[in-house]
Amino acid sequence: MAENTMQATASGRPPGGLSRGAVVRLLTLPGTLVSLVVLVTPLLVALYMSFTDWSPTRSSFFDASFVGFDNYSELTIYDTRFLYAVLRTLCIAAVCLGLEFVIGLGLAVLFLREFRGKSLLFSAFLSPMMILPVVVGYTFWMLFQSNGPINQIVELCFGPGSSPEWFRSAPLAVLAVVITEVWHWTPLFFLILLSGLNAVPENPVRAAVILGASPRQVFWRVVMPMLKPVIVVAFVIRTMEIIKLFDEVYMLTRGGPGSATETISLYIYKLAFNDFQLAYGAAAAFLVLLGCLLLIHLLLSPVRDQLLKGGR
Amino acid sequence: MHAKKLSPLLAVVMGLALAVTLFPVFWIVMTAVKPPIDWNASPAIWIPSDPTHINFMTLFDPDAIRAYGVGGVSQSATKAVWGSVRASIIATALSVGIGLFSAIGITRYGNGSKLAPLIILSGRMFPPAAIAVPFVIIFSNVGLIDSYAGLIAIYTAATLPFSTWMLKSFVEDLPREVEEAAMIDGRSRLMAHLTVTIPLIRGGIFATTLFIFILNWSEFMFSLVLSYTNISTIPVQLARYVTATAGTLYGVQAALAVLAMVPLMLMGYLIQSHLARGMTFGAIKQ
Repeated sequence: MAENTMQATASGRPPGGLSRGAVVRLLTLPGTLVSLVVLVTPLLVALYMSFTDWSPTRSSFFDASFVGFDNYSELTIYDTRFLYAVLRTLCIAAVCLGLEFVIGLGLAVLFLREFRGKSLLFSAFLSPMMILPVVVGYTFWMLFQSNGPINQIVELCFGPGSSPEWFRSAPLAVLAVVITEVWHWTPLFFLILLSGLNAVPENPVRAAVILGASPRQVFWRVVMPMLKPVIVVAFVIRTMEIIKLFDEVYMLTRGGPGSATETISLYIYKLAFNDFQLAYGAAAAFLVLLGCLLLIHLLLSPVRDQLLKGGR
Repeated sequence: MHAKKLSPLLAVVMGLALAVTLFPVFWIVMTAVKPPIDWNASPAIWIPSDPTHINFMTLFDPDAIRAYGVGGVSQSATKAVWGSVRASIIATALSVGIGLFSAIGITRYGNGSKLAPLIILSGRMFPPAAIAVPFVIIFSNVGLIDSYAGLIAIYTAATLPFSTWMLKSFVEDLPREVEEAAMIDGRSRLMAHLTVTIPLIRGGIFATTLFIFILNWSEFMFSLVLSYTNISTIPVQLARYVTATAGTLYGVQAALAVLAMVPLMLMGYLIQSHLARGMTFGAIKQ
């Protein structure tokens, strides 16, 4: 429809220029080419590799022998470390998303009113998400040291000797990862929800108020439903990022103690680059990819139509 | 505008939240100016009585710290800093340039636009750990391993979905009529895009460029697995310090962390109004 307008006004070929088709090709070719060469090719190589027994310590890549679905069955049936990494990542995701959403929404609602110093505070609250994940991991590693400031505060509150060794106990190490993630990414929820809240049209809200709805009813019955696509997108983005969670954990615990804080990405990284089981690692990665696609599909389905319209 | 004060209760809540938000930033900056004796003091020292810039000196002159009777750092951070600067700038330029063309192509000529958003989105889904494995194999075979060219190629491809998607929302906001007017004036289709579309969305291009730079600058896993001796980036260097010294060089590491963090925070504040749109793929219109 819109295309026709363009063609009619510009009557096919504007003077002295390339044809329409040539322009389209020129515009879209570079992007397509980069995606194909740099993203799709490695994916195909990884897919092929996941059906072989290749490892760089054993043979040249081209000599790898085909093992069918062995890697996949090993992973899903026998590899408890992989299964725990998956479960652990999902648990971390659930806890982090819940906390980030609630805190982010609370802050966003506070920021709906006008008050002095609002724009300065807004910038301050966004700070964490503007820091590199590696730096965040390193900073929290320092904060959680046994003689670090967090333990000083714990001792202040609960008396001397009450401070824990964060990185020596499995549950505490996971808690440290969760705290770090929540600190780092709550600002994203805050930002997205505040932008969403500000974009909510005023008329339905006014109408509800005139019709006698209480502030609580207005919020849950009028504002929240309109915010739904925004909330879903925020959850999808964060879910994807937590499934890829690597940098912070690498700096914070290296997956330890033992494998207590190993996320999916960290486990795959260790498989491939510490143990050199590249084929097996590729299979694990593909399982994760399939899981991700399924998860995203489920999460996005209620708002897909709104999103595909380009958010308009 | 008559901005009011918050009620005391809300002010306390806000103050606490602010303290929690800023404390880690405060800590890393304080550690970066601590002299060696304060690095790992027990109990930890919150504000050094004797702040110093020796940690920043040591980053680029590994022996600077010897004056304090502490062993030198094995490796200068110079290479890592230049590596990060070089790879991030080139990859950002490529990603935004290619993304701009794709964005105009998709928005104005709509090939596959129904599905394109989801395909682009899926580019972000794949766990980097998975894609890193084949990259190492392919790059070893074509001589791109441990080279900036290889790193730049990956950075470009990895951020292309974001730059395309963010720029697409800016092109969409621009009425078609302005381009059509230019074409009626006798400009060719391509020239209309180059001389009308692109200048009109330059604010959006600027925001996208900073956003993509932030992503490239922060990238860790690919540079970790692709760099051996020839190349390095700041995140990799930071991780190496931690490994090599078992965390005894707190101050120097913190100095590098601050150096890595400051440009991103500045850029982040510059584009904060565009961040929500960039990260939600345009689901929020402002």
